[in-house]
This record gives sequence, C-alpha cells and structure tokens, in this order.
Amino acid sequence: MINCTIFNGMRMLRLTNIIKTNQTNSLASVRLYATHPKRFYKQTNVICTDNGYEVTLDHRKLKTPKGTLFTVKSEPLAIAVATEFDNQKEQIERSRMHISALCFTVLDNPNNLTKLDIVNYLLNFVPTDTVLFQNETETALQELQLNEWDPVINWFNKRFETNLQKTMSITPPYVTDEDKIRIAKHFQSFSLDTLHGYTFAVDTLKSIVLACAVIEQQISVEKAVTLSRLEEEYQLKFWGRVEWSHDLSQQDLQARLAASVLFVHFNCSEHLVQEKLLL
Amino acid sequence: MSGSKVLRSLLHELRQAASDANDMKKSLAARYIRAQYKRLETTDQQFCKARNEAIFLGQTYLTYLSSQRKYNEIYREYHGRGERSVKETADLVGFKLPTDPK
Repeated sequence: MINCTIFNGMRMLRLTNIIKTNQTNSLASVRLYATHPKRFYKQTNVICTDNGYEVTLDHRKLKTPKGTLFTVKSEPLAIAVATEFDNQKEQIERSRMHISALCFTVLDNPNNLTKLDIVNYLLNFVPTDTVLFQNETETALQELQLNEWDPVINWFNKRFETNLQKTMSITPPYVTDEDKIRIAKHFQSFSLDTLHGYTFAVDTLKSIVLACAVIEQQISVEKAVTLSRLEEEYQLKFWGRVEWSHDLSQQDLQARLAASVLFVHFNCSEHLVQEKLLL
Repeated sequence: MSGSKVLRSLLHELRQAASDANDMKKSLAARYIRAQYKRLETTDQQFCKARNEAIFLGQTYLTYLSSQRKYNEIYREYHGRGERSVKETADLVGFKLPTDPK
C-alpha cells in the first residue's frame, strides 16, 4: 500500500514536471543551442590573388564572420583552411575548426587588440606560468617536475637571456624588469597576426615557457601538452584515467596547440618563401 | 619519426578526415604536401634547417589531424543523446544481454 502511494506520488511528480516543462516551452525559456549551419558547398579551392590567397566554397568566396573577405598571405595556411572546410560532413562545426578560427580572429580582430595589448597580456602571464609553480610536499611529483620542467625553463632562460626562477610556495615568482624587457622585445619583433597565434598557444598550455619551446621546435606538440598537464598525468596514476574527461581534454589541447603552432609558422616563414625564389 | 613515415601517416589521416574518401586525388592538402616533399627531397643538403622545419610542421599537422579525429571519436561515443538502450548500456560496461550468445 505504502509502495503504491509512493509510486503514485512519483508519477504525479513526473507529470507535474512535464507540465512545467511544457509551460516553459511556451514561454520559450528553454535553452536553445545554436544549430550548426549546413554544408552548402560541394568543393573548396584556393585561389591566388594580388592580395594573397583566398578560399572558395564552390563559386562563393569565403568570408569571415564579420563579413570581410578571407585573405591570407601564406599558401599552406589557405590550403589548411580549405581542407578544414572540405572535411566538414553534413554540418559545418565551426567550434572545432581551430585553424580557420584563428585566421578569422586575426582578420576580424573582434577585441580590437593592438600589438601592445597582446605583448602586455603575454608579459603579465609570465609570473603565472604553469611550469614555474612546483610542488614540494610530494617528493615523487617534485622529482617529476624537476626532471621534466626544469630543462625547459633552463632552455628558455638561455634562449632569451633571462633568469626566471621557479617557486615552491604560493607566492608568485618575481620577474625582474630586465627579464620583462627582454621577453617584450622578443614578442615585439613579431607581427600582430603571429602574436594572435602565440596568445592562442599560451592560453592552451597556460605557459609561455612551453609555448615558446614548442614554437621554436624544441619539443613536440604532444610533449608540450603532456608537460602542461604534468600534475594531472601524475594524479591519474593513482585515481584512474577517465576517457571522456582526460583523453578528451588532452586531444582538444593537442589540436588547439598544433593549430596555433602551424599558424605561427605559416605566418612568419619568410625564409621558406625566399627559398622558393632560389630554386 | 622519419620523413616518409610522416608523409604516409599524413595522407592516411587526410583520407580519414575527408568527407569523401575516394576524392583524395582532388585533395589540395595531399597535393601540396606531396609537392613539398618532392621539392625538399632534392635539396635536403642545401636547406638542412628548412628540412627539419618541414618535418616538424608535417608532424604538427599530423598531430592536428589525428587529435581532431580522436576527439571526435570520444565525443561521439560519450556525448549524451538522451537515454541509452539496455543493449548500449550493457556494451558500455562490458556486459552481455541474456539473449546474446555466450
């Protein structure tokens, strides 16, 4: 008897829930997700114009979300974007097209960032760099960080003639003005486009040191992502690996980082262009 | 990874990613990558640095394509599509249904 009343109560609850959702439906307060646009083209191609390379979707020219014409200086970059559009199945999933997204961000510059803004952003990132915060309470983790992170920090200090010091406590590392000037000088030497790529890499890895190391070809993309997730990887050994969380984020970070590395290289590979003339 | 292995893996990934797998002859990326290989092959002594860079870029693009593919695979497997059927739930935890053969 009691069971029966509970069951009835639950049924009532469920019914009221349905009614409620129906009401909210009519008020249109349901969360509506933006649907992906359908793939409206059959073929993608790259054409070379006076201003650079453009991408065409059938007979239409690709435009950025703001409506400006898509033009890039680098041929491989345009090919990568065209391939990305060509690889879409029935729907265009823009959130997973990282190379195109980077190009669009650069062309549209939605936040109206200047070179100085980005350099300042990157400089402010230095004292919060992941690899500078190391653990001292757990010896195994500390050893791992010492073996994996310290060589990269040392490489960075040597390459940029800086003296970044890691910290073992909650106090952030102190970055001297000289070091800041040296790092700023390096970033100032890039174009705005390239700096956008750098920001994307730094945001992905949460580390300037690692981003510079991977862009300067010291470590591979996979290695950089592993180093950025070093503590997570360490804890996984004790608590287990969950595919839909850990693997998903790892693959996502790898794809994002690879996109930004390619973008930076395609944007500042002048010597490759010169080499073509030599042949 | 050696250059030829990167090339093979790249073409493999491009074929996997393509919306129409039979259409690889028309693929711009595949054609571009092949042309780059051909161009840098004959001059590998001359442009040593560029060659290393080319392989690095090739590996990076390979990582990009394979990571995207794996991400999509995991996403497709786990992303919610409403309630799972009894069969799907059993498959997920490695059980068999009473009706399945042993």
